[in-house]
Amino acid sequence: MGPEMSQFLSGMKKTMEQVVLPNLTDRFAQEQAGIVAATLGFLEQIHDKVFHYELLENHLYRNLLNEVIVVLDGATPPQHEVAVTLAALREHVVSDPTGSDMHLRPYHYVRSANETLKEHLCTLIRNQPELPGPVRASFDALLRPFFRELEVRERAWVKPLGFDAKADELPDIEELLYCDGKLRLPDAG
Amino acid sequence: MANFDFRMPAEMTVHTPTQHLRAAPTADWIAAIRGRFPVESHLDEVLTRKLQNRAQPVEHRTDFDNLAERLGAWLRRVTGQPDLELARLARLSGGASKEQFTFDLTWRRDDGARATRKLILRMDPSESIVETHRLREAQLLRAMWGEVPVPEVLWVDATPASLGHPFLIAGFLEGTVQPEGGKKASGLGMYFEPRLRDGLKDQFVRHLARIHRVDWRNRDLSSYDRPEPGTLQGNAWSLGVWERVWHEDVLEEHPIMEYAADWLKRNMPVVEKPVVVHGDYRSGNFMYTDDLRINAVLDWELAHIGDHHEDLSYTASEILGCPDERGTLLVSGLLPRAEFLARYRDHGGLPVDEDKLFYFDVLNAYKMAVIAVATSLRTAHGRRTHLDAMMNLLSGFGYIAISKLQHLLDDAPRAAQRDLRKQFG
Repeated sequence: MGPEMSQFLSGMKKTMEQVVLPNLTDRFAQEQAGIVAATLGFLEQIHDKVFHYELLENHLYRNLLNEVIVVLDGATPPQHEVAVTLAALREHVVSDPTGSDMHLRPYHYVRSANETLKEHLCTLIRNQPELPGPVRASFDALLRPFFRELEVRERAWVKPLGFDAKADELPDIEELLYCDGKLRLPDAG
Repeated sequence: MANFDFRMPAEMTVHTPTQHLRAAPTADWIAAIRGRFPVESHLDEVLTRKLQNRAQPVEHRTDFDNLAERLGAWLRRVTGQPDLELARLARLSGGASKEQFTFDLTWRRDDGARATRKLILRMDPSESIVETHRLREAQLLRAMWGEVPVPEVLWVDATPASLGHPFLIAGFLEGTVQPEGGKKASGLGMYFEPRLRDGLKDQFVRHLARIHRVDWRNRDLSSYDRPEPGTLQGNAWSLGVWERVWHEDVLEEHPIMEYAADWLKRNMPVVEKPVVVHGDYRSGNFMYTDDLRINAVLDWELAHIGDHHEDLSYTASEILGCPDERGTLLVSGLLPRAEFLARYRDHGGLPVDEDKLFYFDVLNAYKMAVIAVATSLRTAHGRRTHLDAMMNLLSGFGYIAISKLQHLLDDAPRAAQRDLRKQFG
């Protein structure tokens, strides 16, 4: 179906930059129109990767949380927020097990699942101080490498917005998402 | 012409029960969040009002057709001068948190002489990228009058009763905030050419040292809670307000932010000597004249009484800096970090503890992420500002702050080891 989204976006950006902006006289309006043009430029670069980004996040959060369930299992009494969260996570894993047809789901389903997973992970992190020392250390050992990858992925995503002074040192989001022409899903078999 | 429906799709970033509560807070949820985080009383007031207003999903309008009439009526009432004249009301560009307008006011001054003066109106949008209190801003500007260059505050109304939103009116100052070619959103990481750096850098540091030396206990700062010296109180409030804002505003949780909040609580230092902390001291928040004199330190809305290291770390933070022509990172685009700290000491600033600076590096990265990822996206999500497009864009800065936070937390164990080596020789 044409035109492609990128053509819509590129047309709007060009019109904004070459027709609207030069003919605006109000400084506030000029400033805002410039921001709209910059936003359109950003959307041009990422619009076709949004679904795969969420799919990758879903895969990575589920991998991490599967390991977290094992590490934290039995670490607190059953009524504790950690135990309650683990139970909810297990339910989540059962409804959408690893290797399920998540890629066939609508975008908002995947996004919703990711937000739920993030909330559960944050609840567990918030309860870290109440975990026994060795359990906490094991949990921490799972989080550190996950955080390093997450930080690079997010910076690569927002790189086209132009705030990053070290943008040249960062990979493009495309490099992180794809390998051999396919979405890169670590440990997916 | 097509009849566009601007209502938000119901599923847009509101997927979980917590997200629903943040988008449409209930009285119970508001009460719970107020009880969870220690914050100053006047900040609690504005944050609570924000949540109560959010329950009424009203899109922020940028139509100010009758603002001049309403403002004129308010000024006539507070001055008791029915012949007061207001003219040339115009919106200002720049800025990210408040709607700003200039206007000419002709009225009788205290000495009885009738005069015309250009003034600035700073008004809250429906929700701001930083939710702050206009009375606090006015009190602090008045406390700083004569200490460092600041705009003169003339009137303040910290309630939405008169103009629909709280506001402050101050004298307008002519000057440059963003140099030619230095254009950046909100002045973040701005470039100053060498001539400007040479002229401005010493004043920039001197004014910060002066702010930290002001005897705030003898000023009218009734809207500020006063932390006890030698306790955690001041820093607990600094963290408490940003942690509360994160949980009130964020669209989706972020594990690095949760991890950082835990680290910040466990490693919080005491505030030995509470001082006035500007809270946003950087390029973009001062103005200078053509002869390179800083004639105004601006944007005091994040000021509070706390630890001077908070300002030093913030001002010197890498992501607010800009490299010079040889690639050396300059604090606020003006001078290298070591020179910044040395000049601060030379100008009589308070003692600098590098380990405390590390703590505040983490706190400030956390704070910047709260502002630019949580609140900026929340205000745009609710269509609650005059700058919704810019608020979305600013998230790009916020994710760099989270990245910085992650690097600092990775370095924290080594920083702690450095502490031990220092402690035990």
